[in-house]
Amino acid sequence: MWATNLKVLGVVLGTLALYTLIANKIPQVQSEVPRALTLGADVTPEQLVQAGEQVFTGIGGCTTCHGLGTRAPNLLTDEKGQGPIGARCGKRESGKDCKSYLHEALVQPGAFVVPGYEPIMPDMSRTLSPQQVWAVIAYLEAQGGSVTVTASDIPAASSGGSGGAAGPGVAGGSTDPTAILQGAGCLGCHKLGSEGAAVGPDLTRVGARLNAAGIREAILQPDAKISKGFENFAGIMPKTFGDQLTANQLEAVIRFLAARK
Amino acid sequence: MVDAVHLLQAATDSLPAYRDFPVIGSRAAVWIAAEIHLMFAAFVLGVPMFAVVAEAIGIFGKDQRYDRLAKEFTRLLLIAYSATAIWGAVLTFLLATLYPKFFAYLTAIFGVSMWVYVSIFFFESFTLYLYYYGWDRWKVGRAKLGHWALGILLNLWGTLVMFIADSWLTYMMTPPRDVTPETVPTSIKLWHAIANHTWMPINIHRLIGNVVFGGAIVGAYASYRFLAAKSDEERAHYDWMGYVGNFIAISALIVLPFAGYWLGREIYQYDQSMGITMMGGFMSWLWVIQAFLIAVLFLTGNYYLWVGMGRIPGAERFRPYTKWLLAVLVVGAIVWGTPHTMIADSRELAAMGGSHHPFLGVLGVMSAKNTAVNLMILATFLSFLLYRRANIRPVVAWAQSGTRIQGAMFAIAAAIVLFFGIRGYFVEAIVRIGYSVYQVGAVLSCIIFVTVIDILMARGAQSLGAIQWGKMPPRSQYALFILAVTFTWLMGLMGFARSGIRQHWHVWQVLQDTTKYAATPALGQAAIMISVCVLIFLALVGFIFWLGGLAEKSTFVPAGKEAQHVGH
Repeated sequence: MWATNLKVLGVVLGTLALYTLIANKIPQVQSEVPRALTLGADVTPEQLVQAGEQVFTGIGGCTTCHGLGTRAPNLLTDEKGQGPIGARCGKRESGKDCKSYLHEALVQPGAFVVPGYEPIMPDMSRTLSPQQVWAVIAYLEAQGGSVTVTASDIPAASSGGSGGAAGPGVAGGSTDPTAILQGAGCLGCHKLGSEGAAVGPDLTRVGARLNAAGIREAILQPDAKISKGFENFAGIMPKTFGDQLTANQLEAVIRFLAARK
Repeated sequence: MVDAVHLLQAATDSLPAYRDFPVIGSRAAVWIAAEIHLMFAAFVLGVPMFAVVAEAIGIFGKDQRYDRLAKEFTRLLLIAYSATAIWGAVLTFLLATLYPKFFAYLTAIFGVSMWVYVSIFFFESFTLYLYYYGWDRWKVGRAKLGHWALGILLNLWGTLVMFIADSWLTYMMTPPRDVTPETVPTSIKLWHAIANHTWMPINIHRLIGNVVFGGAIVGAYASYRFLAAKSDEERAHYDWMGYVGNFIAISALIVLPFAGYWLGREIYQYDQSMGITMMGGFMSWLWVIQAFLIAVLFLTGNYYLWVGMGRIPGAERFRPYTKWLLAVLVVGAIVWGTPHTMIADSRELAAMGGSHHPFLGVLGVMSAKNTAVNLMILATFLSFLLYRRANIRPVVAWAQSGTRIQGAMFAIAAAIVLFFGIRGYFVEAIVRIGYSVYQVGAVLSCIIFVTVIDILMARGAQSLGAIQWGKMPPRSQYALFILAVTFTWLMGLMGFARSGIRQHWHVWQVLQDTTKYAATPALGQAAIMISVCVLIFLALVGFIFWLGGLAEKSTFVPAGKEAQHVGH
C-alpha cells in the first residue's frame, strides 16, 4: 500500500512540478502599477523616447493590438506603404500636426478612427499619467519621424489641455458652442447637421430626445445611460469633459444642444 | 439609518488602509485562503449535483449501484462542508484584518447580501444533514422521492449561495458604469451592484465548472480506492465509479468553453482595455498554458477511454481508429497552443515583422484555434461513441444506414469546421468572429443527433459480452489522478486570470490597490502560488477521504448479495 501511496504522490507532485516549470519557462511579464514619470524641465528627446518605449512595450499594453496589422494599424513597421507611424502621423488628419494627432489618438481615440479599423482603442488617459502619454507620443514620433515633444508640452497635458492649447477650457476658452464642439473633438464621433461622423448618437435633434439635465449627464457621465443601438460603443466617449470644459463652456453647449429639436 | 451610516463612515475613516501578514505577505495570505476556499466550495457544490443525478438514475433506472454511489459521496460532503466553512472564515478574517478599508467598502454595499448568504448557508448545511442521515430511513416509495427532492433543495441552496458570492467578486471586476471613485458606497443600491455586467456569465461558468470538478474528484477518489482494492469485486466497483466520474467531467468540460466565450465577450463589452489585457496583454501567455492544460485533459481523458476498451469484449474492432484520433488530438493541441500575440520589444517586433511569427503566426490566430478545438471535441466524442458501441452489435433493421448517417454527420460537421476555419483567413475580423458560432453549432448538432441515433440503434442490441470491470491496468488509474490535478490547477489558473485582469485595482477603476503588492505578478510566480494551493487542497481532500474511510465502510457490497455490473 505504501508503494501505491508513493506512486500517487509522485504523479501529483510530478504533474504540479511540470505545470509550474512550464509557466516559469515562458516570458515573464508582470503588470506594473502605472507610476508618474519624473521628467524634469531639461528632459531630452532621447530620454522621452526611451521612457516612451518602456511604456509602449510595457504597462501601456500597446503591442497587444498595434503590430498585428488586423486589429489596429501597425505603428513600428510599415502600414500600407506609408511607412511607420512617425512618417505618416502628420498626414492623418488635415490641420493636425503629428504631435496633436498622436495626442488626440491616445486620449480621444474616438475622435478619428483610421478607415478599415473598429473603434476599439481605449482612452489611455484612464490608465497612463500625462507624462507617460507624452513620452509615448515622443517614442511614436521617433518611428520614422522627428521628435517634437518637449518638456513644455507636459504641464499642458497635466492640466487637461489638448496638445498644448493655451488658456482654460477648450477652443481657447471660447463660449461659442460650435467652436467648443469642434475643439473638444465631439464631431469626431457625433453628427451635427451635415458635419461630423456617425460613430455616436446624432446630435442634430438631440433636444427632442434629452432635456438639459439629460444632456449634462451625457457629457459628464457618458456611460450612465447608453443610447439604444450604441451599446457596443459604451466606454468609448471620454469622461474628461467635466475637467476640460469651463462651467461657462459646459452650459453654453448644453443650451445649444437642448435647443436643437 | 442616517446615524448608522455616519457611524459606519466614522469607523471606516478611522481604519488603517492595510496591514501586512508575516513572512508571506498579505496578498499571498489572502490568495491562499481565497483559492482553497473556492476549491472546497466547488467541491461541495459540484458533488451534490453529481449525487442527486446519481440518485435519480438509481431511482428511475432501478440501479442500486448509483444510489450507493450518491450516498458514498454525500458522506464525504459532511466533512468537506466544515473545511469549506473554515477556509471561508479564514478568508473573511484575513480580509477584515489585512484590507480593512476595502472590506468596509464591500460591506457598505453588500452587507445585507452577506446576512442572506449566511442564512442560506445555514439552511444548506441542515438540508445536507437531513439528506445524508435520512438516506436509509427514506429509501422506498414516496419517501425516497421526498429524499431525492431534498437533494434538489440542497443544490438549490448551494447555487444561491454561489450566486451571492459571485456578485461580490464580479462587482470588483465590473462595477456598474455610474460608480466612480467619488461614489459613496452606501449610496449604491444593492441590486444595482449585484446585477453587474459579468455576474450571470460567471454564475453559469462556475455552475458548469463545478460539475466538471466534482466529476474529476470523484474519478480520483475511485482510482485511489481501485489501486488500494483487495479483491477483484471491489476493484470492479471502483473501476466503474472512476468511469462514471470521468464521463461526467469530460462531458461537462465540452460545454464549458461556450460559457467561457460568453464571459469573455461580456468582459470585452464592458471595457475593451480589460478584454485586451486579458487576451492579448500581459496575460497573453496564460492562454498558451491554458491550451496546454486542456490538451492534457483531452489526451488523458481519451487515453483512459482507449485503455478502458481493453476490458470490453468486441472493442478490438475499433482499436485501429485510435491512432488517427490521437493524431487529430495532438495536431489540434499543437495548433491551439500556438501563441497569438506575443509581448516583445521593438527589435523583436521588427525582426518578426509584427507581433506574429512569420510562419507560426498563421496558426496562432482564432481561425486556426477554433478549428483545432472543435475538431478535438469531435474526436473526443467519437472516442466516447466507440466506447459505447464496443460490446454491442445493433440489430435494428436500419443499423447499417444509421451508422452511415452518423458517419456522414461527423464528416459534414468536420467539413463545416474546416471550411469556416479556412475562410476566416480571408474576411474581416468582425465577420470572422461570427464564424465560430457556425463551427460550434455544427459540432453541437453533430453530438446531439449522433447520440440520438446511437441510443435508438442500441435498442435490443446483441451483446458481445459484459464489460469486465476491474480489469484495467493501474496506469489508467493514474490518468484519473492527472485529470483531477489538472482540473484543479486549471481552476486556479483561470481564477488568476479573472482576478488578475483588475490589475492594480481592488474594484476596477474605482478603488485602487495601494499596497506594495499591487502589481499583478507574472505567470511564473502565479504558477507557484497555484501549485501551493492545489497541493494544500489535495492534501486536505486526501485526509477527508481517509476520514471517510475511517468513519464508515465503503458502499461496495461483495458479490453474492447482488448481480455483477454489466452495463455502462
